[in-house]
Amino acid sequence: MSAIVRISNLDKYFGRLHVLTDINLEVVPQEVVCIIGRSGSGKSTLLRCINFLEEPSAGEIEVDGLKVSASIRGKARRNAIRDIRLRTGMVFQEFNLFPHMSVLDNIMEGPITVKGMDRGRARQIAEMNLERVGLLNKRTEFPNCLSGGQKQRVAIARALAMEPKVMLFDEPTSALDPELIGEVLEVMRKLAHEGTTMLLVTHEMGFAKDVADRVVVLHEGIVIEQASPAEIFSNPRDPQTRALIDRYRVGQASQQA
Amino acid sequence: MGILNMHRKEIPKKSQADLLFEAQVRVKRRFMVQVGLSWVIFLSFIIFLFSGTTFTIGTRTFSTIALDTEFIRDNLRFIAEGAGQTIYVSVLSICLATILALLAALGRLSKVPPVYALSTFYVSLIRGTPLYLQVFFFFLALPQLGIVLSGLWAGVLALGLNYGAYMSEIFRAGLSSVGKGQREAAMALGMTPRQMMGRIVIPQALRFAIPPTGNEFIAMLKDSALVSATGFVHELMWRATKVGRAQFNNLEALIIAAIFYWVMTLVFSALQNRLETRLSKGDR
Repeated sequence: MSAIVRISNLDKYFGRLHVLTDINLEVVPQEVVCIIGRSGSGKSTLLRCINFLEEPSAGEIEVDGLKVSASIRGKARRNAIRDIRLRTGMVFQEFNLFPHMSVLDNIMEGPITVKGMDRGRARQIAEMNLERVGLLNKRTEFPNCLSGGQKQRVAIARALAMEPKVMLFDEPTSALDPELIGEVLEVMRKLAHEGTTMLLVTHEMGFAKDVADRVVVLHEGIVIEQASPAEIFSNPRDPQTRALIDRYRVGQASQQA
Repeated sequence: MGILNMHRKEIPKKSQADLLFEAQVRVKRRFMVQVGLSWVIFLSFIIFLFSGTTFTIGTRTFSTIALDTEFIRDNLRFIAEGAGQTIYVSVLSICLATILALLAALGRLSKVPPVYALSTFYVSLIRGTPLYLQVFFFFLALPQLGIVLSGLWAGVLALGLNYGAYMSEIFRAGLSSVGKGQREAAMALGMTPRQMMGRIVIPQALRFAIPPTGNEFIAMLKDSALVSATGFVHELMWRATKVGRAQFNNLEALIIAAIFYWVMTLVFSALQNRLETRLSKGDR
């Protein structure tokens, strides 16, 4: 199967800081890939380079056959970036719902403004996706009336409504109270089972273990290991991976105790 | 004894929280009542000051300011009719100022040097000169360019340009109050920069800017008095000075105008408060 996301020779600098070094990564359709790593390892930056919320310093990004390399400039580049953003859905740590719009309007905004869809059709799509995240009954509420978990589920519905080829999740549960994490993970699990292509940065090792098809370990801007979760969790090869997995195990043990 | 006990049972017992809450409410109410009474006392003092009363303390005789009540009765209506003009000028000017302030704030964000420069130049020039002077300038200078504006429009232009420059800071704060995450969410959906500004950033910035704009409007109500200087806008101040000067009753005329300015300010402040509480309810 040919890759739907292909990152080739990606480098990223913040000033003099080299945050990503020669990243090569592919995601095939319907695959769920988790990127794990310590904070500061560059995992969010990597994800944000895919839809150009961060400008890659060098390398090539390809999404669904559409390639943007550093050599394309000007208007052609802007259009290509926009097309890539249309092919990717992004879910942020801080939800970033539009506070001046109702839940339904939040979800309809993309289809109407960006795709030029008529309101009736956009509404149908919005309601369908709200149903998917189990929040159809909140459609007329404003974001400030929702819990963190509900906000994130609306944010997922907003991204889904654009019918992206791949969903990008940037630490979707890190800003949530512990008791609200479950409902968001449940929605994500459902999406994975429905065959949504997903690339996510997460600290939820349990989710990575259960749902991911592949786990990518990032350390100081370098992919140090990638393998199936079974392999990563039972037989981590790199000492850094082992340290990461061990810390997760300790956390889990203390939770059970 | 038995009856008393039964009676006591029927009264629902108040919880500690209820009692504390009631005490808090009592403190708050007592404070507000005292503030209100003090206002009445201050107001009475001012009225007494203009009541023309003569009184003696010991050997000395004092008298407060006496007003010509006949003049007031005759001219109250004429001056009062200026209130409408004052509000009219202020509303037009605040609309112009709002548009200019938003444009200036957007210009300040621009990466195109002349646009950025135009915004900073405008704000600097206006803030660097007195409003009184600007009112005259538009009235005197524009005709030399062949642009003859009525006194009203020259005044509105001056007030609008002046307030626009100051209010650009409000809109700048409004625009920067919209977080980076909002812009990123808009971009991630595939919006163009124009769509992002028009659909996501500016609507939120405007909501942020509404209460301070209300404050500016209240200030503008009084600053609109300056356009009377051109002699062609028949608002409160112009009317007060006209009849006051003609009949040598300047003080009376000004006091009438002052009362109208004050009452208008009170009314608009109350509206402003209401608007603010309503907006803050929708927030967060």
